[in-house]
Parts: sequence; C-alpha cells; structure tokens
Amino acid sequence: MSDITVKVAEPIALKARLNEDWLALVIGLLVFALALFSLGGVDLLGWAVNTSVYIDVSSALAPIAKAYAWLGGGGALLATYAALLVALSIGVSTLGADVKKFAVAFTAVFAIAYASWIVGSYAHIAAVTPAEQQKFGIGWSLKLTNEGGYIVALLSGLIIANFLPGFANWLKEAIRPELYIKIAIVILGATVAVTAAGRLTLASSLLLRGAAAIVEAYLIYWAVIYYVARKWFGFSREWSVPLASGISICGVAAAIATGGAIRARPAVPVLVSSLVVVFAVVEVLILPFLAQTFLWHEPLVAGAWIGLAIKTDGAAVAGGGITESLIMAKAAAEGIKYQPGWILATTTTVKIFIDIFIGVWAFILGYIWTNYIDKGPDKAKPIDIWQRFPKFILGFVLVFAVSLWLALGTTPEVAKALPAAASEANVFRVIFFILTFFSIGVLSDFRKLWQQGFGKLAAVYFVSLFGFVIWVGLLISWLFFSGFKPPLAS
Amino acid sequence: MSQTDIRSELDAPVEPLLPIEKKLIGWSLGIGIVLLVVLIGFNHFVPIKI
Repeated sequence: MSDITVKVAEPIALKARLNEDWLALVIGLLVFALALFSLGGVDLLGWAVNTSVYIDVSSALAPIAKAYAWLGGGGALLATYAALLVALSIGVSTLGADVKKFAVAFTAVFAIAYASWIVGSYAHIAAVTPAEQQKFGIGWSLKLTNEGGYIVALLSGLIIANFLPGFANWLKEAIRPELYIKIAIVILGATVAVTAAGRLTLASSLLLRGAAAIVEAYLIYWAVIYYVARKWFGFSREWSVPLASGISICGVAAAIATGGAIRARPAVPVLVSSLVVVFAVVEVLILPFLAQTFLWHEPLVAGAWIGLAIKTDGAAVAGGGITESLIMAKAAAEGIKYQPGWILATTTTVKIFIDIFIGVWAFILGYIWTNYIDKGPDKAKPIDIWQRFPKFILGFVLVFAVSLWLALGTTPEVAKALPAAASEANVFRVIFFILTFFSIGVLSDFRKLWQQGFGKLAAVYFVSLFGFVIWVGLLISWLFFSGFKPPLAS
Repeated sequence: MSQTDIRSELDAPVEPLLPIEKKLIGWSLGIGIVLLVVLIGFNHFVPIKI
C-alpha cells in the first residue's frame, strides 16, 4: 500500500516494495530482540509509552516498566517518538526516501496518530464494564475499549485526506501503512506464540483451518470476481486481473504482484489499489461492529471472518484488533472473560496464510498470460515466486518460532519471564497499528470514487464485496470455526 | 494515465473470454470446491481441540 495512492500516476516500484518487506522484517526483529533482553534481567524497552484508560489526562501516559517510572508519561512519549524517528529514518533512507522530509512528516504523523490514541482512551469512550465506569466515576461510556483509539486515528486521517488534501500531500513521505503494519505483524509473532503456548492443541487446530482461507481466496473468490469483472462489467484482462486479486486475495500487494505478473501497465494495479484502500476503510468502520453485534458469541468465527472479508493486511489485522476488543467488551458485560489474543491470532493466521501464496498465484497467472494470452519473449519464471513472496512473513514465523521455543522448550524461569518481554514488544505493535490506521485514513480520498471512470471499478468492487465476498467469508468462517471459543481468562 | 484515458479504457469494446480464461475460471472453481469439501470433511472428523 505505502504511498501508492498518493503517487497514483507514478510507476510501481516492485523493488522498493520488496525492500519495504525486508525493512519491516529488520525493524520488527530489532524490537523483538531488544525485548528479549528482559529475559536476562536487562530491560531495554521499559521506557516505551503505554496509555491507560483515564478520566484525568495527566494520568493517561506512563512508561511500560516501573523501573522507568522516573521518566514520567511525557518523557516516555518523547523517548518512544525519538526511538521510532531514528529507527524509521534510518530504515526509509535505505528505500531511497528523503530522510529530512520523512522526519518532519513523521513527527506530525506520530503526534496526530498518538493524540488520537490518547483521545480513544478517554473513559467516556473506552470504559467497558460497570465496574470500570464506577472506578472512573462516570455514568455512561461508548464501551469501545481503549482500542477505539484506532477508529479515532482512522477518522483523523480521513478528515485530513478529504478536507485538507494539501496537508495530506505534505505528510505523504511518512504515510506508509504497509511498512507500519508489516513491522507490527512481525512483532505480533511473539504475542501469538505466548498465547498459543498456553493452549497448543487449540492453536494447532486453528492453524490447520487457515488452509480453508487459501482455498477460498485464491480458487473461489478470484475465479468468481474475475468472471464478474470480465463478463458482467466488460473489463479488459489487464484491468480484471488486478481487480480480482485486489478484491479476493490481499488488496494492494496482490493487485500489484498479479498485475506485474501479467505485464499490466504499472498504473493499472496502482489505480485498483487506491480503490482497495478506500473500501478497506469502509469495511473497518462497519464490520467489527457487525461482528460485535451478531458474532460476539462466536469469537473465532468473527476473527476468521474479518481476515477473509477485509482486504489489505493493515486494515484486516487492525480490524481484527478492534473486533477482539469489541467482542471481549461485549462478552465481559455478559460476565464472560476470554483470554485476550485469540481473536486477533485467528484473523492474523487467516491473513498470513492468504499472503503466503501471492507469489505462487502471480506465477501461475504469469505463466498462463505469457504462454497463452500475450505471448512474447518475457516469460514468467519460477524465481518470480520468491521475488514476490512477502518477506516480512519470514519475520513473523521466526519471532513466533523463537517465542514458542522460549515458552515451551527452555527453563521455567525463561517461560515465566517471556510474557512480560512479549508485552514490551507489544507496546510497539500497538503503536505501529495506530500509525497504520492513521495512514490508511490519510490515503483514503473518497473523492476518487466520484472521479470519472472510477464508478465502474467501484461497482465491481461493491457488487463482489457486499454481494459475495463478505457472505461466503462468513459461511466458510462459520463452517470451520463455529462452536469453538477462546479459553477463558483465569 | 489521465482520468479521460481511464474512462475511455473502461468503456472500450469488450474482449471476449478466451478458452484459456474459461479453463482458468472453471478449474479454479472446481478444484476450490473439491478442496473445500475435503477440508469440511476434515473439520468434521478432526474437530478443533481446546
């Protein structure tokens, strides 16, 4: 996704996308490695800022570890900002970005995004249970949990995109939702492993069911949407392939990978990608609340559904986070307290399983196109599979495997200390989620839907998404995940 | 690519589905449905373990 929709007319830099994958992997592993020092008693990330639900804003912020309490909330916030600024500036310099512009823009992005998060943690927005309301001395709240801050960040971005386009353009160097969510997913590997270690049989059962998502996205969704685009709407092959991939597989990454594979002109998948982002925003604003209302008694179905229905990694995984908070809040109000992490882990598993095969699908399409449709000297090669493989997934798998080994294969002391280390890393995961939400908002210029020519593209998307993808996704999620609940919190 | 270009492209004459495209759609759906049935069977006989 990154700055794709801002630079709509520019060629796609596939190389840059791959570099962004590697960069996400490196930064995610760095955060994880620093967090692991706490297993040996050296707390290197305890200064990171954490936000609690508050009624008095002066009590909202604090460092994650008590050992760094002397920093205070403001100090922790500044330290977190400075650390991210340095790490990301070095990172984006390797992508060829203008570091000075990035630093200035990132400062504004971080300030607005984190301010949105703080607003979302206000007790009248976030407090969930009657006990919490009593604790804060309030009679009502929106019960969005503090993750309602994601919605506030998204809305802030949307306002900027649609009412302050000049400002949105000024921010573009730091509007990199793909990079942010990929870093977050790598870090998420630790939390998922800690969660899975507690219920290994349940986790492996969920993993096996992720296979259904691959079949659904690539073989069912893609074929139907390609047919709809070609036959019902009369799109050319060049437009139909990225469109079908964007709607059915994984939004932007799939549109670009398959568009490249069939040798489409670069602008085609980029334009499709901008549409994917806009629809993903609409879905993130609607589906988690529908899941809370209708699927709160089937949390894992809700998690899988979000992973299957919302396109783009950022929106899907972040939507899974919101869904988890909303469903846990609703269940808590009914006296059921689930262990956190399972709904988000289900969404992430589904999404990652789908992502893994983008390269394979792009190769299959490339092979068919270059051998049977647009025959030419530039044939698809097996190496394309590796080149298009989303490398950040390697980071997620590595972090997951190392964390699982630490939880199950080492000493009880290490296993006992691991959840605290994972929570410190998780603070950064949350911050990258916030940056993702805000960035997606800034990229979502709804006026594009009204621009000439976009109506027909949007119509295919609308018909496919709301007439087919969402409902089939719900059916498949129900078939594979219904009746099974996350473990209860002890 | 300007907005006018996009509009004219999207309104261009329809390219008929080639046999290879029909094969791709048919085989995808066929294999997909078979695999889903297999997975549903698997899900039935090997239920999620808590």
